[in-house]
Amino acid sequence: MVSRKITVSNQSGLHARPAGVLAQAAGKCKSDVIIKVGEKTIQAKSILNIMAAAIKCGTEIELCCNGETEEEDLNKIAELIESGLGE
Amino acid sequence: MEKIQVAKTASRGIAVAPVYYFQEPDLTPEMGQIPADEADAQAARFESAQDTVIEELSTLAEKHEIFAAHQEIAGDFMLREGVLTKIKSELKNAQQALEETIQEISAIFAGMDDEYMKERAADVKDVGKRLMAALKGVRLPDLGNMDQESIVAARDLYPSDTVKMNPEFVKGILTEEGGVTSHVSIMAKSMGIPTLVGVQGILAKLQDGVMVCMDAEKGSIVIDPDEDTRTQYLRKKEAYEKEREMLVQLRSCPAVTRAGKRISLCANVGNLEDIHHALPMNIDGVGLFRSEFLYMENSHFPTEEEQFQVYRQAAELVPQELTIRTLDIGGDKELPYFEFEKEENPFLGWRAIRISLEMKKMFKEQLRAILRASAFGHVRIMFPMIISMEELQEAKALVEECRKELCAEGIAFDEKIEVGMMIETPASVLLAEEFAKEADFFSIGTNDLTQYLLAVDRGNKKVADRYDFMHPAVLKAIGHVINAGHKEQIKVGMCGEMAGSPAAVPILLDMGLDEFSMSGGSIDYVRKLVLEFEN
Repeated sequence: MVSRKITVSNQSGLHARPAGVLAQAAGKCKSDVIIKVGEKTIQAKSILNIMAAAIKCGTEIELCCNGETEEEDLNKIAELIESGLGE
Repeated sequence: MEKIQVAKTASRGIAVAPVYYFQEPDLTPEMGQIPADEADAQAARFESAQDTVIEELSTLAEKHEIFAAHQEIAGDFMLREGVLTKIKSELKNAQQALEETIQEISAIFAGMDDEYMKERAADVKDVGKRLMAALKGVRLPDLGNMDQESIVAARDLYPSDTVKMNPEFVKGILTEEGGVTSHVSIMAKSMGIPTLVGVQGILAKLQDGVMVCMDAEKGSIVIDPDEDTRTQYLRKKEAYEKEREMLVQLRSCPAVTRAGKRISLCANVGNLEDIHHALPMNIDGVGLFRSEFLYMENSHFPTEEEQFQVYRQAAELVPQELTIRTLDIGGDKELPYFEFEKEENPFLGWRAIRISLEMKKMFKEQLRAILRASAFGHVRIMFPMIISMEELQEAKALVEECRKELCAEGIAFDEKIEVGMMIETPASVLLAEEFAKEADFFSIGTNDLTQYLLAVDRGNKKVADRYDFMHPAVLKAIGHVINAGHKEQIKVGMCGEMAGSPAAVPILLDMGLDEFSMSGGSIDYVRKLVLEFEN
């Protein structure tokens, strides 16, 4: 498993639209994509799970990928989050 | 071919189109345990329902952004895992598993602090409904699903249905229930959709896809017309549309009678969308902004901030007066998050200003929000359902209290904001002289006033034909109110359906009414009547 810490920069946090972008991208990854925030573990492939976690702007999250393509997936998703998820 | 003649026109116009039969199916889930060897089959049924719904939503997503989010939810990992676990480990059938999972997920959202997230509970439930319909193999009627020009036939339509309506496809509306002042009528008028309501027995005569011609002004409906009839209606439709075009030409003329009296032509609106619809009609302002939608289409009493945002946007949209009526709830309007006690006579019960004066904290939040918005336009405050001087004074005292608070907090508002009242109870008619000394303006609400003066319940089919705003008693009351207002030099307007009625407008002009406020669909025609009026 590989992981990286990222700070969420979206102004209103991970609300519906960025959550949708993230879930869609994670859904295309072959490896398992998980986000850890404090005590919570979130399935990045689930828009509902991401939204329900109510991650606010400035929160530090840990992105973890586990599977055959984990390196590639981690880079792709981390970049996407850092770029603001299309916002 | 079958011809039907009816009396209740809700919104004028002619339509020729196939029927879209709107009927809500039974979506109650089948509850029950399943034998272990059936789990895979149940899981497969859920997965195939999921595929159907995702497919359905992907078509809709091209038209409206909200459906893209719904599509994402329908295929969601957490939702899928939730349902499959309930089927495979707890051996529940697919319908029960879905029902419980949707409830669990929407409860998570409903329980969140963030208002935006709270509202997502409704999205989850909406998707749940769609999945349930697919599981049960029934078609879910959704006016947002329409993809061709149709006439919608329904028992009745509710705000949650009509909000999804695409005016591009909805060419006409026929309902079995409802009156000319019901929600669907008001909405249809503001969107200019030909509509006939209270057409008894119509649903039994129609099926999905059958061709219908309707002339909503004359109240005629032809089911499955022959070629001649169809051509004849299409020709009438063309003539009607030409007339509409002529009316649109007149929009640039200010509403002045031949004798030179300037009349205020205003719009009644229920939300910001309605304002956008009304603005191109060259209105002189908004005579009635119903604040109810903020309360009804919500999961909680809207906060001061939430209300302020909406009022401010409205004030900025409307360069002239924006008359905001404080909460008018109760009677036939309920709130999803607040339990009203069942009443024997809701229209004579705990409603409108009576609720506001009792729930002072809530009322003050609204007043503060309106006052704050007044810094961004020409806002007026209007109280509904006043019957006594004490009520008006108490409500005004609360406005004063809010003004002082805002001053102390250094928040801007319009110092000269006008505070007026609706005249919609017999008591307020009889005391109009006294009220005119206390209120900055009057607005006559003829829908309630007519029903109270004549003691006729406008929603009761048996007596609905006695409901008549042209009744001499109603006309006499209106004349009295106008005179009483003018004696104190205050403006008198009207914001009931009567203000948009072609038969009533000349009479009201003659009586000296200053402001006519009506749903968007009537404004163009009333302008023509004003321009043609002699005195």
